[in-house]
Formats: sequence, structure tokens, C-alpha cells
Amino acid sequence: MSLDLENKLAEEIKSHFLEAEVKVQRKSRITVFIGRELMIEIARYLNKKMGFDQVVSVSGVDKIKENAFIIVYHIWSTSKKVLVTLKTQVPRDNPSLPSLIKIFEGVNWHEKETHEMFGIKFEGHPDLGRLLLPEGWDGKFPLRKDFTLTQ
Amino acid sequence: MAILHVSFGPQHPGSGPMRLILDLEGDIVVKAVPDIGYVHRNIEKLGENRSHIQNVPVLERISNIDSFNASLGYLMAIEEIMGITPPPRAQFIRVIMSELNRIMSHLYGLSISFETSGLLAPLYWGIADRELFLDLAEMVTGSRITYTYAMPGGIREDLPNGFKEQAIKTFNYFEKRLDEYYDMIFENKLYQMRLKGVGVLKPDDAIKLGATGPTLRGSGVKVDVRADEPYATYEQIDFKVITENAGDSFARTLVRFNEIKESMSIIRQSLDKLPEGPIRIKAPLRTPEGEAYARVESGRGEIGYYVISDGTDKPYRVKISAPSFRNISVLPHMLKGAHMADVPIILFSTDPWPFDSDR
Repeated sequence: MSLDLENKLAEEIKSHFLEAEVKVQRKSRITVFIGRELMIEIARYLNKKMGFDQVVSVSGVDKIKENAFIIVYHIWSTSKKVLVTLKTQVPRDNPSLPSLIKIFEGVNWHEKETHEMFGIKFEGHPDLGRLLLPEGWDGKFPLRKDFTLTQ
Repeated sequence: MAILHVSFGPQHPGSGPMRLILDLEGDIVVKAVPDIGYVHRNIEKLGENRSHIQNVPVLERISNIDSFNASLGYLMAIEEIMGITPPPRAQFIRVIMSELNRIMSHLYGLSISFETSGLLAPLYWGIADRELFLDLAEMVTGSRITYTYAMPGGIREDLPNGFKEQAIKTFNYFEKRLDEYYDMIFENKLYQMRLKGVGVLKPDDAIKLGATGPTLRGSGVKVDVRADEPYATYEQIDFKVITENAGDSFARTLVRFNEIKESMSIIRQSLDKLPEGPIRIKAPLRTPEGEAYARVESGRGEIGYYVISDGTDKPYRVKISAPSFRNISVLPHMLKGAHMADVPIILFSTDPWPFDSDR
């Protein structure tokens, strides 16, 4: 299996964002790790210049030992058939980052869910209210690692 | 005119366990807000607390009507982390079960969508004919809805004797039956009048807003995980990605209808090509450290599993990106400007399944 396309795309990202850690994971998977202050810029570049047009998933990951949350956007290109895993890190005591909703309208519910489950604030998101949890939920964040199943 | 707020669901016969909050001016929807979460079980959290093999029966319940596809995505992700590939026979049988499940899921969803469009008899036709496919699944797995059939490294048991003959008998019957369906339903003028031009979703919006599966292909976007990044043995099989260009409720329904025929053709080819050999290889209990994002094309669209492993026998994080979650989030766009009477038609043209949107 040839990874030419993936390597070419990875080189393009690297040359525009020197701070980013870029890795070709396997056929049609590229992982990019970047600081949160560059998220908007790189998302705009991926969308406008490189044809990554659909966000298929947004995940939070609680790295409780490192006192951080990782936020992961999976962005698919319907034309190139490549999935970019765009990751960033925020500190656990101040979990906020800019929302990508102005660039990818489809992140709306994904970000809302990540906020509800992890307490990560997406600045600029129009509605971070309840989505899945019941009304009157006590404000805990169920997918954080310090929330145990017996709670 | 004053705005009237209407709660459509969750106790409405045509809503499923979800709610649409509709703002109506006369009988025109000016704003629609889907409200989900009524069947939320936080399966992602449960997944972090169970071992990989225990996770199979839990995770397939995100979409009990399409349970094989739901568990397959997870297994593909952990197999990628383990660095193992199931033997070819297992891969072919996975495709067979996956397509059987897609047919069942489509028949159920289509039947309900016929009913909401005013065709009552086809509801019973679809549900009755679906039994034949449930019988086939029962023959293979022993159960009719939730199978726990795929295992890390392959599948649980081999196909039983006589499965091929029974499957071909069923398909010969049902392919003819589908032609009758087409004449009676899709050629029906009244049905066309109720669905054509209703709930239009343009291709650009469908991509941008995150629609998936038949909802996306009904807008003319040729995206299908089975073709875009073929998993299991889809690469060795000749099949069409069904699309329709209109982007309305009729197009979305027709895509699902035509996919049933394509699924039967995929199963026929797989049965012919099915090689002899083992059905499972030994998979380790623990996964090494690593992560993978695996995707499968289920009846409703792409199910994505993002699995992170920290080297134990349990996943550190399981993120499920569910197709109905994405499609329901696009609904406000399709419902805006629609008549109140068309709301159930538009809703069921996307084949929503609140259990997988809520997880």
C-alpha cells in the first residue's frame, strides 16, 4: 500500500505549521498534535486549502496523571479520502479552547457533548447547554476519570 | 401570526424516544430543535470499565437493530491496536453478517417511514419480510437481534450447514418481492407527492453539517466507508455506491431501498468466494499501548470508534461517533420551512435511531 498521498499531505501541514507534530499513522490516517492557540488557524487551513470538509468525531480524553485533557477532532476529506486526527491539549484546571464551529458547522453537537461529559469549555460556541444528561444533573462530568461508576 | 411551541415526542407515536421542539407559525415550522438523551446510558463510560471481550455485548447495544455493525467497529479498532488480522474466511463471514444486518436495519426503518407517509400495508410487508432475514441471522448466530458474534481475532462460530442454500432461497424470493415494493410504493403518485421536494438537504450542507450514510448519499454525495476505505473483504467485492441527487425525503428513502438489493448481491458474491480455513486467530487479552480510529458503514451511516489503550485488558477511552447523532443534528436544517404534517416524513427519511444517538 502506498502512502504517497498521506506523506505529501503531512509534509504540507509540517511546512505551514512548524510547531505541529505530524505523523502518518497508516493508510488514510494522519495525526497532528498542535497547541490550542493554533487550533483555529490550522483548522481553517485544513478546511480551506486542503479540502478536509467533514468533522466525523470530537472526543475528549482525560489524562488525569498528566493533569490535562486531550481534545481530538477527526476530520475527513470526502475528496481525498484521508482522515486527519487533530489533537490539542488543555490543562485540567483551566479546560478551555476556541470552538471550531465557525469553520466546521458540524462540530456543534460534538463539542456540546464533550463540554457536557468533560467540562471542557469551547469559547465561541453558541449553546453549551444540556444534550444527553438529564435535567437536574448535579453538575459532575461523567467521563472524567475521577468520576467512578458507582457514583 | 403568533408562534406556537409544540413538543413532538418523546411520547408521540411517531417520534421514538426523542423529542423535537417545534416553533410553528400556522402550520409552518420556523424553528426545530431536537432534544435527545432520553435513552442515554453512557455506554462510553461502561466501555472503559470492561475488558475488550466483555465490551462486545455492551457496545453492540448502541444500535440493537444493527448490532453486528456496531460491535464490528470496536473490534476493528482493537485489532488494529493489537496488530492482528482475522483470517480471510472470518473476514468474508463478517461482510455477510454486516450486510444481513444492514438489510434488516433498512427494512425496519423503511417500514416505519412508509407508515409515516400514510402507507399502512407496506409497514406490515416490510416487518414480515424482515423475519426471513432474522431467521438467517438466527441460523448463524443463535439469536435474532443482538448476536455477540464477532470476536477479537475473528468470529465466534462458523456458518452452519445449509446456510448458503437458505440464504439464496431467501434472496431469490425477496429480490422479486422488492420489485413489487417498488411498483406499489415508489411508483405510487400519492407517495411521490408526499415525499418529493420535502426536507431538501443540499450536498454542500450535508457534508458541512456532518450528515452520514443514506442521508448524505441521498444528497448525491458519493461517500461510503465500504468503498472509501474498504475493511474486511469489501475490496474483493464488486458493488455500487447508491446515490440519488434530489436530496429530498424521496431520494433518501430510495437510496436505502436500492441498497437492500446491493447488499444481497454482496452476500451472494461473498458466499461464492468464501474460502476454507480457520475462522478465528488467538487474540491477546491485553492490548498494547496505542490508539486507532476504525469506521464501519452501518445501515444508518458511518459508526466511528476511537479507542485508546494504555496497555491493560480494558480500553482507556472508547469514543463512539454514532450515525444517528450526526443525522439528527442535521434535522433542524431540513425541517425549517416544512409543514407540520411533513415533520414525521422528514424525520423518518433520515432513519433516526435515538438509541445510537444517545449511546
